[in-house]
Amino acid sequence: MCWAVPAKVVAIDTDVIAEVDLGGGTIKRVAIGVDNVKPGDYVMVHAGVIIEKLSKEGVIENLKFIAEEIQRTEEIMGKSEEEAKKAADEFFKEAMKILES
Amino acid sequence: MDLPKQIDALFRENSELAKSITEQIHKLAPIVSKEIGREKIKIMNFCGSHEWVTTHYGLRALMPETVELIPGPGCPVCVTPSSDIENVIKLAMEGYTVYTFGDVFKLPTVKHYKKDEVGSLAAARALGADVRIVYSFVDAIEDAKKSGKPSVFFGIGFETTTPSYAVLFEKEKVPKNLLFYSSLKLTAPAAEFAVRLHKSKGLVPVSGVIGPGHVSSIIGAISWDFFPREYKIPAVVTGFEPIDVLAGVLKILQDLHSGDITYTNLEYKRVVKYQGNVYAQVEINKVFKLVDAIWRGIGSIPKSGLDLREEYSMYNAREQLGIKEKPWDYDLPPGCRCNEVTLGIAYPTDCPMFMKACTPARPWGPCMVSMEGACAVWARFGSTERITKIVSEVK
Repeated sequence: MCWAVPAKVVAIDTDVIAEVDLGGGTIKRVAIGVDNVKPGDYVMVHAGVIIEKLSKEGVIENLKFIAEEIQRTEEIMGKSEEEAKKAADEFFKEAMKILES
Repeated sequence: MDLPKQIDALFRENSELAKSITEQIHKLAPIVSKEIGREKIKIMNFCGSHEWVTTHYGLRALMPETVELIPGPGCPVCVTPSSDIENVIKLAMEGYTVYTFGDVFKLPTVKHYKKDEVGSLAAARALGADVRIVYSFVDAIEDAKKSGKPSVFFGIGFETTTPSYAVLFEKEKVPKNLLFYSSLKLTAPAAEFAVRLHKSKGLVPVSGVIGPGHVSSIIGAISWDFFPREYKIPAVVTGFEPIDVLAGVLKILQDLHSGDITYTNLEYKRVVKYQGNVYAQVEINKVFKLVDAIWRGIGSIPKSGLDLREEYSMYNAREQLGIKEKPWDYDLPPGCRCNEVTLGIAYPTDCPMFMKACTPARPWGPCMVSMEGACAVWARFGSTERITKIVSEVK
């Protein structure tokens, strides 16, 4: 019941209703549950309501979280800080390639 | 590539990263298991979507023997009390148009198997009642406006669903002929209830929790801080791709290793903020008030539900139609162990009815109905034993 899908805002109908493209040209009228949403924004839609915006910056933060995890485990397993950081940086660089494709 | 496709590539189709995080989990788990003196590191999720991801992608088969991923109370359809379903069926049979989400349509009452019982909204519709499945509250509003008939919306959901009701009531978009029957539930009180139960029953205690990503987008990752602060249990709010869940497991192991268990980790940063969606929180507080709520097969959990405030009582189906709340009576059909599955003290396969008298096509108990009920998920994607067997054969 708490599944949500990414969508692109196509139009703002009223102060409370927006039209979103759920992908493949599927357009839905949904309630606006966030502040300051505008056409072109990527959002998460759950059961007909926009619950949050989705941004590239957020994805980068998400990737940084995983990079930090990788570094930390490497350190726990006895790698030097430098080696551990290198492993994390490699992961992050590869991930950013996808995000810039 | 657009952003959703990039997210898929990074967090869903990234088998290299999945392999690398899995290896790290395997390295860390035995060390942590020794450090905390537990053979099993039990990690509980509180969202049906997390259980779906875990089972669908076979993540349990990737875990070392020391790590056990268990489903907790994460499916609002599964915990909707039978009395609510019975009340709404009664309204449908009396001539009200009932709007409901698709996964509530087949939800069975406690006596659904009895010959003279209208055991679900689906059965009511088969008998001629006007039950309409909608994708959203917006669709129900637009349809009710067109029809002009006396109607009731069966409001089921966790915090994720609540903003849609709140903004539409607050902005006065709901027509007078559409009443609202609230069966809304809050996740955190039930999550705490489940974790405490494991301790009080002398079971292996819960060592880590994976917080629900989309619920947290509304209430904030901060809402789970009571686990690290009061219970010293690491918490991490993750997204709903396999990489998200694997990263969550790794984070819990790291926290257990370091002993630095003070706040909720936030992995799902592409969607969730620590403070949550403040705009939605304000709207929800304007429209809804906290109430005690009944959880199916479990009973009443204090302050774990929401109902319309007095200002909106003209829309409150219970008040307008004089529906009295009956004291809770055990409300699972005979033999059903959904309550134990919901609280993480039994797996779906522990239930003798699983895939025998109870299947997705003919659900006997509520956890087999919604796509997010643990039993329905396990029925569709197989249990861990089967996946583990396949993996070992491949190896």
